[in-house]
Amino acid sequence: MSILIVEEITKEYDGLRALERVSLQVEKGTIKGLTGPNGAGKSTLFHLISGMERPDFGKIYFKGKEITFLKPHEISALGVGRTFQTVQSFGNMTVVENIMAGMHLRLRGGLISSGLWLPWVRRTEKEALKEAKEILDHLGLLGRWKSPASQLPFGKQKLLEFGRALATKPELILLDEPASGLTPAEVQQLSGRICQLKKDGTTLFVVEHHMGMVMEIADEVAVLDNGKLIAEGPPDVVRSDSKVIEAYLKGKKANA
Amino acid sequence: MVKSNQKEFRKRDFFYLVPLWLLSLIVPDADDLYSYRSKEFKRRELYYLGALLLLPLIWPDPHLHHLMVLAGIYAILALGLSLFLGYAGQISLGHAAFFGIGTYTTAILTTRYAFPPFLAFWASAFVAAIVAYLIGRPILKLKGYFLALATLGFGEIFLVIVSESQSLTGGVIGIFGIPWFSIGGFSFDTYLKQYYLTWGVLLGLFLFSKNLVRSKLGRALLAVASGEDAAASIGINVAQVKIGVFVTSAAFAGFAGSLFACIMSTANPEAFGLNLSVLIVMMVILGGMGNLYGPVFGSVLLTYLMDILSRYQEWSLPIYGVILILLLIFFPDGIGTRLGIRLIYLIGYWAKKKKRDEGKP
Repeated sequence: MSILIVEEITKEYDGLRALERVSLQVEKGTIKGLTGPNGAGKSTLFHLISGMERPDFGKIYFKGKEITFLKPHEISALGVGRTFQTVQSFGNMTVVENIMAGMHLRLRGGLISSGLWLPWVRRTEKEALKEAKEILDHLGLLGRWKSPASQLPFGKQKLLEFGRALATKPELILLDEPASGLTPAEVQQLSGRICQLKKDGTTLFVVEHHMGMVMEIADEVAVLDNGKLIAEGPPDVVRSDSKVIEAYLKGKKANA
Repeated sequence: MVKSNQKEFRKRDFFYLVPLWLLSLIVPDADDLYSYRSKEFKRRELYYLGALLLLPLIWPDPHLHHLMVLAGIYAILALGLSLFLGYAGQISLGHAAFFGIGTYTTAILTTRYAFPPFLAFWASAFVAAIVAYLIGRPILKLKGYFLALATLGFGEIFLVIVSESQSLTGGVIGIFGIPWFSIGGFSFDTYLKQYYLTWGVLLGLFLFSKNLVRSKLGRALLAVASGEDAAASIGINVAQVKIGVFVTSAAFAGFAGSLFACIMSTANPEAFGLNLSVLIVMMVILGGMGNLYGPVFGSVLLTYLMDILSRYQEWSLPIYGVILILLLIFFPDGIGTRLGIRLIYLIGYWAKKKKRDEGKP
């Protein structure tokens, strides 16, 4: 069963086609990779799925429900979590508060009841703190749970953002370049965590610029070039696809 | 020297220009301004409370009591604004209007319809909150400078409406004879009683805010300030959070306005201009953003500063401006924020400089 269906998505910026009739599906409980050279439209596709931007044409379905024109927080509430290409952890909060912020929708408390610190707010906060510490323990960040998130090194901030997305308990999680800027050891750990998540039944959709990590862990890979889908299939098949090799070589030549 | 312009230039203009310019320097890189502070209650805070309760008894000077009453009212205003400015990272230069709405609601209800002040107190906050909701729906879609301008415009429109609609608000002359605040026959008619009234209300609102910022809503505010896309990606409804905090801070201003009306016993439009809006923003920034003690501290400090400087008459505003600049240069995070560390740093800096200067031939 497909958890996410993208149908004929087209997006233009001032006449520049970022995406052109892209259709793909993500199967439940799998890891799907999305790669392609710079400017291929990978991040644009993620922005469209998570509702940060709206497509000019086409439809997006999540669990059979159309989400094309829903607002970002509504899509998140349905069970789509995401991380960003540039780190967007909340630097003005502590590490543990970042994770607790991720639980926002699952916690109780309105304006008045929070202000009066009523018993159920107290209880829900206590439980949230406990759960957040468990998540941090799992990520290996528990040692610094009280320090401001902005003081963490880059790699840890990326990890924290990943943890924050997990705290929303998503069914589908979109990872935008999770491995960029990480050391090889951190990338190893990250792949381990992603595989563990898959075992727990979460579906993952991962954008990667380089074909490194994605090719190892993904069940299926899609390749974008110039806003068009040029290949889709198991990693081994895609790797040897002539169009894909050409697209990457073209990029290399242009860079040189 | 330009002689022809000298007459038109008022010293008072420093008062507007300097803080606005400083504000423009401070507001954009908001990210660095919020730093984490422990959100749990501590024993230390009981000592503060005790000191506040005893202060007017130890120091029985009516002038001081009156100043502390004013400072308390400003502190309520600044506390509300700090939720909006310091936590949610939005800017409002029209907060004096909500204060004015609170004052006029109480003034009109008590003098025309003989409402008891206690009911008018709640009604003021309610009216301010409703106006904030109606205004906030369209203008909170704006960001940064545009939001600053829109709220500034709202403040000016409020002034015009108040001074023109004479039948309701008494126009430029205003409304007189607002009764003292009273609860069940107990009238707050001395400065000392008003002190306990104002600081009691402030204490209640302070506890409310403190609970608010350590709950999920407080985290939502900080998340919105940090990054709206990231906040939305974890299911926070950014528009709803913004309007919620705007309405809350307007309600705080409504409470403050109602107390102001009962204590001053008059309401007239002059008190609610851009002057006051900028003053509140300065209190929040000087006191320290992302910190609830900051605005309280800032409002006490600025109220006293203005009182002391009023002795120097026409020189008071330039001196005031210079002091503000110095405070902002040496305490960029606000005085309430990391005061100790900041002082150590400054002393260390001067010590090093002295050493360096002595080392020179």
